[in-house]
Amino acid sequence: MKNQNRRDFLKTAAGIGASIGIAGSVKPAKASEKTLSDDRFGILVDTDVCVGCRHCEWACRVAHNIPTPDLDTYSDNSVFKEYRRTDASSLTVVNEFENEKNSAMPVHVKTQCMHCEHPACVSACIVGAFSKLEDGSVVWDGDKCIGCRYCMVACPFQIPTYDYDRSIDPQIRKCDLCFEKRKTEKLPACVNICPNEALLFGKRDDIVRIAKSRIKRKYDVYIDHIYGEKEIGGTSWMYIAGKDFEKLKLPKLNYSPAPGISESIQHGIFAYFVPPVTLYALLGTIMWITRKKKGDDSEIKDETNQDKKGGAL
Amino acid sequence: MKKTILIISPLLVICAFAISTLFSQNKHQGLNETVDKLNRNVVVSGKKDDPLTEKISCKTCHVTEYPTRKDPGLRSCPRDKMLSGFPSSKTGPDVVVINEMSENYSGVRFSHGLHSQMSEMSLGCVDCHHYNISTEEILKCSDCHNKNRSREEVSVPDLKSAFHRQCMMCHKQWSHDNGCNSQCHVRKGQENNLVQKDFTGKIHPKQKEPEKMIWETNYEKGKIVTFFHDEHIQLFKINCKSCHGNDKCVKCHDKPLQPTDYSKPIHRKKSFEEHHMPCLNCHKSENCQKCHRDQEMTPFNHGKSTGWILKSYHSQLACEKCHGGQMPVKKIDRNCSSCHKNFLPGKFEHKKTGFVLSETHKDMECKSCHANNDFAKNPDCKECHDDKSFPSQLPGKRK
Repeated sequence: MKNQNRRDFLKTAAGIGASIGIAGSVKPAKASEKTLSDDRFGILVDTDVCVGCRHCEWACRVAHNIPTPDLDTYSDNSVFKEYRRTDASSLTVVNEFENEKNSAMPVHVKTQCMHCEHPACVSACIVGAFSKLEDGSVVWDGDKCIGCRYCMVACPFQIPTYDYDRSIDPQIRKCDLCFEKRKTEKLPACVNICPNEALLFGKRDDIVRIAKSRIKRKYDVYIDHIYGEKEIGGTSWMYIAGKDFEKLKLPKLNYSPAPGISESIQHGIFAYFVPPVTLYALLGTIMWITRKKKGDDSEIKDETNQDKKGGAL
Repeated sequence: MKKTILIISPLLVICAFAISTLFSQNKHQGLNETVDKLNRNVVVSGKKDDPLTEKISCKTCHVTEYPTRKDPGLRSCPRDKMLSGFPSSKTGPDVVVINEMSENYSGVRFSHGLHSQMSEMSLGCVDCHHYNISTEEILKCSDCHNKNRSREEVSVPDLKSAFHRQCMMCHKQWSHDNGCNSQCHVRKGQENNLVQKDFTGKIHPKQKEPEKMIWETNYEKGKIVTFFHDEHIQLFKINCKSCHGNDKCVKCHDKPLQPTDYSKPIHRKKSFEEHHMPCLNCHKSENCQKCHRDQEMTPFNHGKSTGWILKSYHSQLACEKCHGGQMPVKKIDRNCSSCHKNFLPGKFEHKKTGFVLSETHKDMECKSCHANNDFAKNPDCKECHDDKSFPSQLPGKRK
């Protein structure tokens, strides 16, 4: 009877643990699916149309209150000599690459946060400072951030940057798609200023369709691939180009979401206090078993003593 | 029994996590599939994966909910007014002021005349006035291109980008910068800074033409190719655009580009097809040796190439006078009467050849001197005169 009870207890404990584990891991995935709207935006960077005027860099700085030199100075081409990355004072940068087909028309590629469909930074952030909004943008809340910079490590595009120069209240900075500005002006600053509409802003589904038709129409110009359509589960910013994307320093990535496995394990383990509950359950079980064992031993000891006594008598 | 329970219980917990992890991965895959399906649904309403044959929504053309044959309720379409055949560059405007979007900038004075004069060498008017090919009116860019960047239908570029793409994609190649340095327009209030020429009545300067071009090729049976550019234009009257119809402006307008020195041999830079296509348009049935020789070719010589030396009157004639205007030239009979229909015995006035026959020779038959009526050869006197020969003694007077 005692044994039966113990087995029952263990069974239910394991059952509860497993069910919590499953429930915990399924819930977050569901949540991220829910937040994405069907009308979420997408932006196409048509590298064939971009002329590398860098007006987007200027507009971005102005929109984010970052000090900037006059717009006329941006036509200086010498910055293209070195490959540049985003930093705390430039949330977007345009780089120039050689065009083998026509040397007079170099390829220009604008880089910024890709606003992934399944963002690794959101998943990596331990305090929930990053969030993926319904319209597709990935934004950062400075009040929650503790400056751990896990997001910088997690990002497959190495985009989020840190205000290393500011000793007091340094910030994580990255493109926020002019989240505040769009409440009144509809378009992000870079899209608005682009003279050639090399940045096409619209519903993500429309953007993918337009990108496909452009590739089809100018089949001799573009390679047949939309970068970002499926990379790491899809991104909001997408690129079409006449040159291999790896040569344009856009990393070759899997089609499965970056945080897929890590997130499900993490969320599975940490959701609903599963680790402490299981730990206590495990410790409790061990304690309970070992206590019983001691009790058994003393009973046996008593019996043998009695036997000895009886034998003597 | 107790020991087994001790081992199994942690294992169970691990298993539970493993299962949960697997489940959540499947969940992500499922999401991907739905996203894929969504994308496909948008693209594939016509033929599969072909956006060009994609079905057009009825609402694109019909305003009414239920269009009938009597009342189709069609939207007015700007393409109804499209142009068939463009006016010549002379009748088009010299300068077009583009100021439709001049909120921050002054209007752009576009030298339409100069551009259109050269357009026939670079795809023609349609290169800029695209789709504008079937009626009598030239459409304004703003008829199709929306002034608003923030708009529902984004597949057609907005007006600002339509203008900029037309200009910058070409000018960027000349200036070797991003094209913004070209003085097109200045910010409002700074109009004095704009240094822009007046293009009214301007004519594009005549292009410099090379006399001949020599290529040094890798072709073993004849390394040297000579092309006589002047002959093709002046002698054969080939239209510029039949070879240069798809040239880029940057071919001549590249700023740091030095003028090509045509006295030196050119080495192949373009692909095989690019090099041969302009020639093959006309020289369809020629073999390689027609152009590929061991040494430089001499200019065209009618006598050497055909065996018919052009003298006096004939050398002054245009090729098409005898050979017709069509290329390739048609071969003609060497009989004088094949061109000169009135050169008949008795009717022919010999003084037209620059030689007046003496009274005694005037009424003789042609073939008495010109054996077999072959006028290309020198006349023969030996038929009648043993002691006379042409040209030391003449049967008349040179005029």
